[in-house]
Amino acid sequence: MADMAEMAEREAVAPVRRTVTVRCSKDHAFRVFTERMGSWWPLDQYSRAVDQGADVGITAVDVRVEGREGGAIVELTSDGAELSWGEVLAWEPPDRVVYAWKPHGRPTPPTELEVTFTAAGDGTRVDLEHRGWELLGDDGPRGREQYAQGWPIVLERFAGLAGSDAQA
Amino acid sequence: MSYATALEALGDPTRRAVFERLLAGPRAVGELARGLPVSRPAVSQHLRVLKGAGLVTDERQGTRRLYRIEPDGLAELRAYLDRFWDEALASFREAAEEEGGHHGRHG
Repeated sequence: MADMAEMAEREAVAPVRRTVTVRCSKDHAFRVFTERMGSWWPLDQYSRAVDQGADVGITAVDVRVEGREGGAIVELTSDGAELSWGEVLAWEPPDRVVYAWKPHGRPTPPTELEVTFTAAGDGTRVDLEHRGWELLGDDGPRGREQYAQGWPIVLERFAGLAGSDAQA
Repeated sequence: MSYATALEALGDPTRRAVFERLLAGPRAVGELARGLPVSRPAVSQHLRVLKGAGLVTDERQGTRRLYRIEPDGLAELRAYLDRFWDEALASFREAAEEEGGHHGRHG
């Protein structure tokens, strides 16, 4: 039982890895992913505005990624506010981008999102890794403690993403 | 049991604190209540909600009842995150291919 639980905990906090292949150039895929995030991210469901302002009619209208290392990732809302989603940790167009990812306003550290773009035939393979909560190391109790502290990040991320779903 | 139920259960900060304590290993109610600014009955109530959401199980050990994390509940949360990114990336692919197919068009 304990072993099962431990395994599941490890599994639960391992990085999320997803891959998608798109029929367009690497350069274009990179630009859409970064410069045009607002055109594909489901802002109506997952945003800080949904998270905190849905009841007062404020909506998210765009997400902008400032294309440079240290650049800001910002959600623009219908009332003109700019809400931080994190920052660009690595900016290597059109190959790779890494974000410190924190699309919510709570006082927890960001998780990390790495996306790589690889030419595949006449399209582009996009690999995404969402990590930063696999804090259960092999260093015994200390790792466990860090792991326990890491979980709220995941959970708040879930809560932020799930938005109204979670409040239902 | 669904991720929405689990998220709802974890939406409460005190309940989340109880849950986090269980991540360190199985605990009895008394141990969980120690150091939390809520009464023991309140902790019991939070544990009931967590149990109802499939995140926690309990078993009697001698004279006390031990609470522990339910692995399936965590797996459900994990599956939710995987699904979330699948959907977001599918939406990204649509946007990239739509615009990629019309190179001369902007906006």
